[in-house]
Amino acid sequence: MNEWMKKGPLEWQEYTYKEVRVTASDKEYKGWVLTTDPVSANVVLVNILEDGSMSVTGIMGHAVQTVDIVNEGDHTVREKLMNLFMCGDCKAYSPEDLEKRKNSLKKWLEKNHIPITEQGDSQKTLCVAGVLTIDPPYGPENCNSSNEIILSRVQDLIQGHLAASQ
Amino acid sequence: MQTPPAIPVPVLRLPRGPDGLSRGFAPDGRRALLKPEVPEIPESPVDQESRESQEQRARAVLRERYLRSLLAMVGRQVSFTLHEGVRVTAYFGATDLDVANFYVSQLQTPIGVQAEALLRCSDIIAYTFKP
Repeated sequence: MNEWMKKGPLEWQEYTYKEVRVTASDKEYKGWVLTTDPVSANVVLVNILEDGSMSVTGIMGHAVQTVDIVNEGDHTVREKLMNLFMCGDCKAYSPEDLEKRKNSLKKWLEKNHIPITEQGDSQKTLCVAGVLTIDPPYGPENCNSSNEIILSRVQDLIQGHLAASQ
Repeated sequence: MQTPPAIPVPVLRLPRGPDGLSRGFAPDGRRALLKPEVPEIPESPVDQESRESQEQRARAVLRERYLRSLLAMVGRQVSFTLHEGVRVTAYFGATDLDVANFYVSQLQTPIGVQAEALLRCSDIIAYTFKP
């Protein structure tokens, strides 16, 4: 196991969103770190080409020799990388729309006697009875819970709410 | 909220393992290498707990992003860099849990096209694709 694979998740996280130069099997790769897989230590780099298109490269953890940070990056790059591959449908809603959807759903669930709170940074996530969370854009597929009975119940309620407000 | 009557959940029983006694996973069948134990300065239980939960949260975030990047690759043409500077292209299908094997189709090799193939991660240096 090489030095890179011996690192911990907090160390790997330090490299995220930064521009790095990676040597692997005597080949050099440069790009912005999207993530490092904690299971295989594979590094995923993103490069923006001259024509504006993107290229994504995964370097296998077992092949990594050195990783050097070349550029700390700024919040514009961070934003772009954070949204790459993540919540594709989030982009379709404006912050005001998301806020309206959240409040409308919250009222509906409260009407159905379901204990609901807001949590997380900027209060964007809804929390039901402390066991289920709903992330933006607050559709049935955005629910997270380990209790399948509550999950199915809340999903049905959200479905009904969305159908009624259509 | 009224608790609905408990719905029986079907239980999936894994087949017996090769030794005929255990079920499912082999006790030492772990393929992803465990990190070597690093002797640490003793921490108070509270510090240790919060650091562990921090690490776990970091692990979860990193893994989720990696899985989503793999999802974005499905069905796309990917160029794999193997040992000795060999490059092959194929359509990405899937990897297994430890990312130890890459399942690909239409693998273009120097000696022809393979309809379906399994690339071992130890043979791969890097892979690249355009989302």
